[in-house]
Amino acid sequence: MKSFVRYTKTTLLFLLVLTVCIAVSGAFSDVESAQKRKKSSKIDPTNPCSVIYLDTKGNLAGVGDPNKPASLSYKKGRGWHPQALSANGLPKDRYGLIDWARLVRENLIKPRHALKAGVDEMPPLQMDVLIVAKGDFVDDVIYPHEMHTYWLKCEVCHPGIFIPAAGQNNMTMIGIVEGKWCGRCHNKVAFPLTDCSRCHVSPKKTSKK
Amino acid sequence: MIKRILIGTCMLLIVPVIALSAVDSIKIESHGTSRNKAGVGPVIFPHKLHKKSFKCAACHPKIFKAKLGGNSITMRQNMNKKFCGSPGCHNSPKAFPLFHCNKCHMKGK
Ligand code: HEC
Ligand code: HEC
Ligand code: HEC
Ligand code: HEC
Ligand code: HEC
Repeated sequence: MKSFVRYTKTTLLFLLVLTVCIAVSGAFSDVESAQKRKKSSKIDPTNPCSVIYLDTKGNLAGVGDPNKPASLSYKKGRGWHPQALSANGLPKDRYGLIDWARLVRENLIKPRHALKAGVDEMPPLQMDVLIVAKGDFVDDVIYPHEMHTYWLKCEVCHPGIFIPAAGQNNMTMIGIVEGKWCGRCHNKVAFPLTDCSRCHVSPKKTSKK
Repeated sequence: MIKRILIGTCMLLIVPVIALSAVDSIKIESHGTSRNKAGVGPVIFPHKLHKKSFKCAACHPKIFKAKLGGNSITMRQNMNKKFCGSPGCHNSPKAFPLFHCNKCHMKGK
């Protein structure tokens, strides 16, 4: 009788361990299949029918197919539909997005400063700020006021997003990716963060790696 | 006696499960000082996952030396189309982009 109890106990233990094992391996294959599923729904940015319109949370905002309007504002914005714009032969960056900075530099557009005539426009501020990237190797960032103040007022950034004093903001790249500092605009309305070398332009003197 | 055999079998079953889950993820952590300054942790590289989709020669020896810690990988080189950022890899539409720091780096220091 005693040994019977012992056998039942060990068998139960064995069964328990077995279920745990199966559950664990199941979880792993779950993760893998989840990754597979993700892959199959991946968007190809080089395909013009594919999405380039993501909302601020990174979710789909439109399908990029002119026959399938994303929203009601589609009709109004038809003339300024990003695809229509791209088809106009405007310069594009290496991701196929319109390069607004080059448009400005090459004088291809001249947007009006204000709705009312006669409002004085402040000329862009010509001041580059060196932002030293933490770490030993990555190129430092040169922040160009000129390109930004062409589009934006000082108050857009100062003092809400940046304290106007070099080196006082204690930025981090992780924070930028999470949507702080430069990430308030870049990856959303300005060129994407994937384009590392547009910000990281000034090689560190200490390292050639 | 039977109990011992049973427990032994259990162990035999558990060990490979644990081993399978741990093995074949390579920790890359040569540049500790630089990573600490930037506040990112070591990199966990899922070797197995990559081996499933690519032949060894796609990476060895052209892109990575097949030696633990044998590659001095920096983000600067990743950005400049070397190592993880090689053409067709994490600097292209084919794989997740380089700015998803926490997909490669463990969180914290
Ligand atoms: C797009 C955002 C943005 C706009 C718009 C902007 N700035 Fe800045 N400004 C910055 C950043 C980023 C820094 C660098 C802060 C740092 O280094 O931590 C900075 C730094 C400064 C500094 C300190 C420079 C130094 O060397 O200490 C001054 C002064 C300044 N800005 C003035 C202005 C003025 C005036 C305008 C409007 C004409 C303006 N900024 C518009 C982002 C902006
Ligand atoms: C308030 C929004 C905003 C913020 C914050 C911001 N940018 Fe920009 N940035 C823009 C816009 C808009 C452009 C021009 C459009 C484009 O190039 O996509 C631009 C363009 C640039 C350019 C391209 C200049 C060129 O000539 O190609 C660089 C470099 C840049 N930003 C760096 C930074 C850095 C570094 C930071 C953080 C310190 C930052 N930006 C923060 C909006 C912003
Ligand atoms: C919009 C401009 C911008 C883009 C694009 C950008 N960075 Fe940065 N990055 C910054 C700024 C600004 C800093 C400096 C933060 C600091 O230390 O003050 C920085 C810092 C860093 C650092 C040093 C760590 C740290 O937190 O300071 C690394 C590593 C880095 N970036 C990697 C990348 C990679 C990889 C990419 C491309 C996927 C990229 N960056 C794209 C602006 C940018
Ligand atoms: C595709 C994977 C991958 C991604 C994504 C990635 N890294 Fe790295 N990173 C690595 C590897 C591999 C190393 C080498 C680690 C080592 O040897 O310590 C590294 C090293 C580093 C280092 C230390 C060496 C150096 O260049 O200074 C820093 C700092 C760093 N990464 C920051 C970042 C930041 C910030 C981001 C997000 C913008 C990022 N990494 C995204 C793979 C990645
Ligand atoms: C996606 C690229 C990639 C592929 C494909 C790949 N490896 Fe690796 N391998 C790596 C990286 C990265 C390391 C880590 C090197 C380091 O630590 O610096 C590595 C390390 C190694 C190591 C040394 C570490 C260890 O585990 O002892 C060996 C051996 C190795 N790989 C063999 C292989 C073989 C065999 C294959 C084909 C079945 C393969 N690799 C496929 C990227 C790859």
